[in-house]
Amino acid sequence: MRRSVVLVVLTAIVLYPLVWMLGSSLKAPQEVLNNMSVWPQEFTPGNYTDGWSHFDVVFGRFFLNSAMVAALTVVANCVSCLLAAYAFARLRFRLRGFWFAIMIGTLLLPGHVLIVPQFVMFKTFGWVGGDWPYAPLIVPQLLATEAFFVFLMVQFMRGVPRELDDAAKIDGCTAYGVFRHVILPLSRPALVSTAIFSFIWTWNDFFRQLVYLSDLEKYTAPVALTLFIDSSGQSAVGPMFAMSVLSLAPVFLFFVAFQRMLVEGINTTGLKG
Amino acid sequence: MAVTQAPSPAPPAGPAAPRRRGRPARHKSDGAAGYIFLSPWLLGFAVITAIPMLMSLYLSFTNYDVLSDWSSTEWVGLDNYRQMFTEDPSFWHAVRVTITFALIATPLKLAAALGVALLLNRSFRGDGLFRGLFYLPSLLGGSVAVAIVWKSMFNGDGSFNAFLGWFGIEGKAWVNDPDYALGTLILLAVWQFGAPMVIFLAGLKQVPQELYEAASVDGAGPVRQFFAVTLPILSPVIFFNLVLETINGFQGFTSAFVLSGGTGGPVDSTLMYTLHLYNKGFTEYQMGYASAMAWVFLLSIGLVTVLIFRTGKFWVHYSDGDD
Amino acid sequence: MTATHPPRRRFLRTLVAGMLALPLVLGACGGDDSGGDDGKTELSFFWWGGEARAELTAKALDLYTAKHPDVTFKKTWQANQGYFDKLATLTAGDDAPDIFQIDDNFLSEYATRNVTLDLTSYQSDGKLDTTKFPEGLWKYGVVDGKLAGLAFGENTQGLVYNKSKLEAAKQPLPKTGMSWEEHIAWAQKAGPATGLAGTQDPSADYKAFWVWLRQQGKEMYNGNQLGFTAADVQAWFELWKGARDGKATPSADVIHEGNQTDITKQLVVTNKALTSWVWANQMPELQKNTKDELGVVAYPGDASKQWPRASMYFSVFRGTEHKDIAVDVINFLANDPEAGKILGTDRGLPSNLDVRASVAASTDNASMKQTIAAIDELSKNYGPSPSVPPRGHSTVRSELIKAAEEAQYGRATPAQAAEQFFAASQAAVSR
Repeated sequence: MRRSVVLVVLTAIVLYPLVWMLGSSLKAPQEVLNNMSVWPQEFTPGNYTDGWSHFDVVFGRFFLNSAMVAALTVVANCVSCLLAAYAFARLRFRLRGFWFAIMIGTLLLPGHVLIVPQFVMFKTFGWVGGDWPYAPLIVPQLLATEAFFVFLMVQFMRGVPRELDDAAKIDGCTAYGVFRHVILPLSRPALVSTAIFSFIWTWNDFFRQLVYLSDLEKYTAPVALTLFIDSSGQSAVGPMFAMSVLSLAPVFLFFVAFQRMLVEGINTTGLKG
Repeated sequence: MAVTQAPSPAPPAGPAAPRRRGRPARHKSDGAAGYIFLSPWLLGFAVITAIPMLMSLYLSFTNYDVLSDWSSTEWVGLDNYRQMFTEDPSFWHAVRVTITFALIATPLKLAAALGVALLLNRSFRGDGLFRGLFYLPSLLGGSVAVAIVWKSMFNGDGSFNAFLGWFGIEGKAWVNDPDYALGTLILLAVWQFGAPMVIFLAGLKQVPQELYEAASVDGAGPVRQFFAVTLPILSPVIFFNLVLETINGFQGFTSAFVLSGGTGGPVDSTLMYTLHLYNKGFTEYQMGYASAMAWVFLLSIGLVTVLIFRTGKFWVHYSDGDD
Repeated sequence: MTATHPPRRRFLRTLVAGMLALPLVLGACGGDDSGGDDGKTELSFFWWGGEARAELTAKALDLYTAKHPDVTFKKTWQANQGYFDKLATLTAGDDAPDIFQIDDNFLSEYATRNVTLDLTSYQSDGKLDTTKFPEGLWKYGVVDGKLAGLAFGENTQGLVYNKSKLEAAKQPLPKTGMSWEEHIAWAQKAGPATGLAGTQDPSADYKAFWVWLRQQGKEMYNGNQLGFTAADVQAWFELWKGARDGKATPSADVIHEGNQTDITKQLVVTNKALTSWVWANQMPELQKNTKDELGVVAYPGDASKQWPRASMYFSVFRGTEHKDIAVDVINFLANDPEAGKILGTDRGLPSNLDVRASVAASTDNASMKQTIAAIDELSKNYGPSPSVPPRGHSTVRSELIKAAEEAQYGRATPAQAAEQFFAASQAAVSR
């Protein structure tokens, strides 16, 4: 009983800012910045319709673009990082420690100094602009450049007992066989966490998407959300809150649907040990 | 997970350790397989990660300013580094702000994540919904909406002071007070504890119930069970979260950027290292200098990370029995 | 670079130089190049603003296309968040838009680094017509003797006040021509009478400081040098310390909120003070954010020291392949009466005075009318304009906020804060 009281209180604290946001999405423009209470004085559901069709392109289009980028990123990260993680976690080869250290090192450089060199590079590759400007956002994920996920999967794989590999090897499995028959089936929790995280990160990524997308029709949700507020001039705070709330919905549902897989997947792994 | 065996004396964390122990069979190299599996990463590293990193390293020795034609960029040797350490008071200020932030926010965030994960580590009706709700704040990242919400809540007439008012406490304009602005930033970071919480939850599911039962037969209370059973088995996950959140804590750009409108104000009280770096690069167009700052950051945080990996030896228990 | 460098460094340099130079080499075969065999030209056009501006701009550009069917536009717009980051990144990749919007915080940064096309020759042979512009206005786009941007829209400093609250409390409204001391005295009385803080403390506001400096016979900048001394700054900080001590301003934390440039944070809008120190053309947007009626007058002191500031400019990228067309486009946007009517006062009052007059006659937006009237009124006694701020200006601005806030929070005396600001801004402009 005590546990549930604590849980309810905690939920209330954590949710309060979100509820406030929800309330603000229903406030009239003059109210959003002056009315500090959660409840709108002037109930304005029009923020949602206004926000949805605020631009030449309906907001749903931005969600679709984001969903497309996010889905591709998820697949790319899962495949490429899994391969790299298997090598780091299980295989023996020269310079393994060196490469692992390098990989962790790539997590450490503040991204802002990489934006310009990367842009110049991708421009050289001919990836910038064109009819499908998403290549600079997705191709790097295909090549496991998101070290976070490699590290995450390495840590998960190290929870899989070696004995399973050894048994498979005695049965005549090669490194590929072990990967295919032992590691891959047991990596579901790692893959699901990677999926959850890469989806969410892509959904929130602003800076890179901002730099590479220049066509309103190609904008993603985080880029489009900033269009509502031009601090030097016009702003539409209410519609911005409304669309922010809407942009949470798919991610929230995605998470609630997948979290069980994540949690149960690991449990299965544990039992097999 | 082979949780039934007693945690062996901690092996060095991470596969980077040079020493090799274990069964003789493991000394055999897997030959080309390693590099074949690693090849996407290697290619990505060589083509996509390494080139910009090397470019930024090179630029850190130049006066590169983003806008000028490349031909007018000059080699300035260690000048950027010298300037940083001797002529830029904001640099040292930003270092102090960042260390304060990381040292307070990281442990609090991890503690909150672990605490809530322990609470939610039990099946009950709607558990998925609760996990989702606690996860929501991290989904908002550093959006404009979050900045407005946070500033409104922690302003003089905001909800937080209304709450304090119930207890007869008169609050301040927390976000606008140079003494407390960093505090609100820390709160924001802690509030977004969802990501490490999910990983903790996953880790907690690995602890077999039998171990708790065995422990309680031995007369261990919940506290001892936590330290004797939960903590050791959770240690690789704690380790992972610690490394990642430490790096995140030191980098902490987004919330400082949105909350202060990019200025690091009031009076530089939220001038995080990366924010100073960003301003140097993108508003003062001293990208050479910003690159130098980035490499100093990489080396310093690299050192911190190595230290964490080293201490990992003493408290992280892997069940693969490997190095 | 000579061969005496260690090999590694040479290797890196070659690598980096190669990477940076490649786009230039490959540029010729890029797929998005316009001006092909069919004689069609596509110009990229980049600006910041809100949805309303996007619509107007698109409409005006479509009008150009209607008149010149061979010229089309790739329009990109976003809010000001991230705008200059993106513009800088594109520029670094030699991929800058053919025409882009810019303001006086960044014009010198771009112009002195040769990103912008020098428009002087187009101006002198009439392809870029500025004859209907106020002289001070187009000159505010000259950097180092080159016309770096076409002033697009005029504004000037405006003191916005809450008319409703003052009238309800039967308090006098602020008037153009009040001295700074009179203004502070007014705020001391009007504040308590209305229940709001009297006047926002503008000591962190560079434009207020600049106007005040000019009234003291100084300048913010002389060329690439500071036009004032630490003693001037100290006097300015002390003036406002007096106002704060006399309760003419809100408390430091509230002042800090108003020190942000966001329209929605201005204290006159958030109902935390009776005044805000803004640009006069921001009036209509300010008005939208509050239910009270607002009014606008000049900053205190001698109003002739205010100047026609270009609220923004259009600049042409030096590397564009269609220089003449790009110049013709901005000439069209600035001088064509029809385009002028479409664009209205969204970017400030139209630079072309004829266009401005016709816009003023045809608009039915009350606050737009008031803004035009107010700026026209102020523009009658404009003196000479200063030159556009030099490189480092945005650092100077943020250093002023920092130093002024140190004084506002009582963490430094005016003298200490002045010393700090003076040293930091001197370093910023001499970089």
